[in-house]
Amino acid sequence: MSRRVRDRKRLEGYLPPEGVPISFSIASIGARFGAQVLDIALTYGFIILLVYAMVTTGALPIEAMFALIMLCVFLIRVPYYILAELVWNGRTVGKRIVGIRVINAEGRRLTPHQIVARNLMKEVELFTPVTMVFTVDAMSGLGVLLTLVWVLAVLIVPLANRRRQRLGDMVAGTIVVDNPRNVLLPDLALSLPAQGSVPHVFDFLPAHLDIYGRFELQTLEKVLRDPVRGEEPPDFGQISRTIIRKIGYADPVRPGQERAFLNAFYRAQREHLETLRLFGNRREDKFHSAPGS
Amino acid sequence: MTDAVAEQDKRRTGSSPDSPAAPAPQGELLRSARFRVEREGHWRRLDELVVRAEKAGPASLSYDETRELATTYRQAMNSLSVARDISLDRALLDYLETLCARAYLVVYAPQESIGGLTGRLLSIGIPQAVRRSALPLLIGFLAMVLGAVAGYVLFTGDPGWFYTFVPPDLADMRTPEASVDYLRSTIYGNDFDAAETLAAFSSYLFSHNTRIAILIFSLGIFLALPSFALTFYNGLVLGAFFGMFAVKGLGYDVFAWLSIHGVTELAAICIACAGGARLGLAVLLPGQRTRRDALREQAHDAVKLVILAALMLVAAAFIEGFLRQLVQDPKMRLAIGWGIGALWLAWLLLAGRSDEKQANEARGGSAP
Repeated sequence: MSRRVRDRKRLEGYLPPEGVPISFSIASIGARFGAQVLDIALTYGFIILLVYAMVTTGALPIEAMFALIMLCVFLIRVPYYILAELVWNGRTVGKRIVGIRVINAEGRRLTPHQIVARNLMKEVELFTPVTMVFTVDAMSGLGVLLTLVWVLAVLIVPLANRRRQRLGDMVAGTIVVDNPRNVLLPDLALSLPAQGSVPHVFDFLPAHLDIYGRFELQTLEKVLRDPVRGEEPPDFGQISRTIIRKIGYADPVRPGQERAFLNAFYRAQREHLETLRLFGNRREDKFHSAPGS
Repeated sequence: MTDAVAEQDKRRTGSSPDSPAAPAPQGELLRSARFRVEREGHWRRLDELVVRAEKAGPASLSYDETRELATTYRQAMNSLSVARDISLDRALLDYLETLCARAYLVVYAPQESIGGLTGRLLSIGIPQAVRRSALPLLIGFLAMVLGAVAGYVLFTGDPGWFYTFVPPDLADMRTPEASVDYLRSTIYGNDFDAAETLAAFSSYLFSHNTRIAILIFSLGIFLALPSFALTFYNGLVLGAFFGMFAVKGLGYDVFAWLSIHGVTELAAICIACAGGARLGLAVLLPGQRTRRDALREQAHDAVKLVILAALMLVAAAFIEGFLRQLVQDPKMRLAIGWGIGALWLAWLLLAGRSDEKQANEARGGSAP
């Protein structure tokens, strides 16, 4: 299993029978905490609604009501998580909202045994310590110390291992990953509008294109895409001036044509680097010609 | 697939600055852009199928669609492999990486059907797991028995121990100071009348006991000691409780009273402890494997044990809620309690025998 870190994300790699390695990014602690909080809020909210509805309507005798509520309070603990993950293949309601899911750490089918095992441990990792924290006032010094050690031990485990597995995940052999979401953005080499008022011809010599590598090209691609809403549009003038200086581009680029220049440069640079790739020359970044690399 | 790649590009390096807004002729496209244009339809189709399979399960796809899923999945994997080598279009790479990851999960990690699962678990899984867990079961029952004996001996030595062991809300009014008549009335009393009250009581007990059982089980991971201690403590309570009635000459009556549900309920607690012990033993004595591997392997049987414990607790709660109050004759109580115990034993010892041989042979063949 290959282990890589890209973009500060922790990746877990798998090799399917097709022989093309694929990877999932491990869900962040924040996302998992959020999903857990959502699940708790939803389940307990459901109980409160149920009690409220039964008290206001008075449809059931008091004993039946008590029995029903006791049953529900039991069900929203471990059984809820087991059922939800069984039905939705590793996603509780909270996980669905946050966009994470449980997968088998071996990359195969998530078995019911794993779901049961990882959620049974929730009792020891979550419910009991939380209950103890709430009753900490009534405890002796030893009790407080025990609670503290317990909570710390449970919290440290997912922080201390690379795949952010909690105890239940280790027992069950599962990991929690970001549910991959995919959007196919348009190909810049096809869709870029010519923004200069006059179609202008920019010619690049091979020397101009030998400066940058893959990383710079993909950074430029990011910049050229329509900015995410709320972000300031990048300063194309500044970027194009920097590029012109670095690659030693001699022809003049008139003000107002920076965007068109960048588009043309992106296209030419990509074509150049892709051609080099075909011949086995993979230029990862601008340091490709530095000695020793 | 690779013909587009292998095709030599004769054009010289340089920009083709015709207006990109107008659809450029095929020959003018970058090789990687052409690659994308040719295959995009397949990817979008796969995307659709994957989204549907994720939402409603792979069963919602028709026969033809499932075949299509397999084909387009392989095409997309192929595209990903090629794109990693020839394309520097980040959007394309990211899209294919995530699409293939999602499709991989749909194709290779589909959902297990819940129906056949339960049947298999009851007829084969649980009984075999129990038969494989002799040592942990011994630990579980030993904890309970030792606790009970210690509780009884300590109580007969000094009744003051009762208050140390038994929590006040469990003891209620049943303390060593209570009169014989009162204690007898708690055994044979019928203060629960309406069936609804019984249902409420039994659902409360079930919820309470199951939580204890789950706790006993899951604490086993801390080297099995907390499981053992909790079960031992349960035994202490039991012993002290029994001793309190026994010294008043009510030993036989309380034994029958406890038997009717206790055989099932206490056995369930012991089995939960055995499940915890399996986890603890895996951490303590992992053998040749790493601790994590040992834990993962032991967890299979341990989880089955705890499911069994939960089932038994459901049964115990029903017996306790209904039968204990309805059946007053001590002989009947003994017969029902131990009879049900014998049924559990028969199920756990006899079920799933024929498959076990095959399973053992299969395991013997594959294990080093």
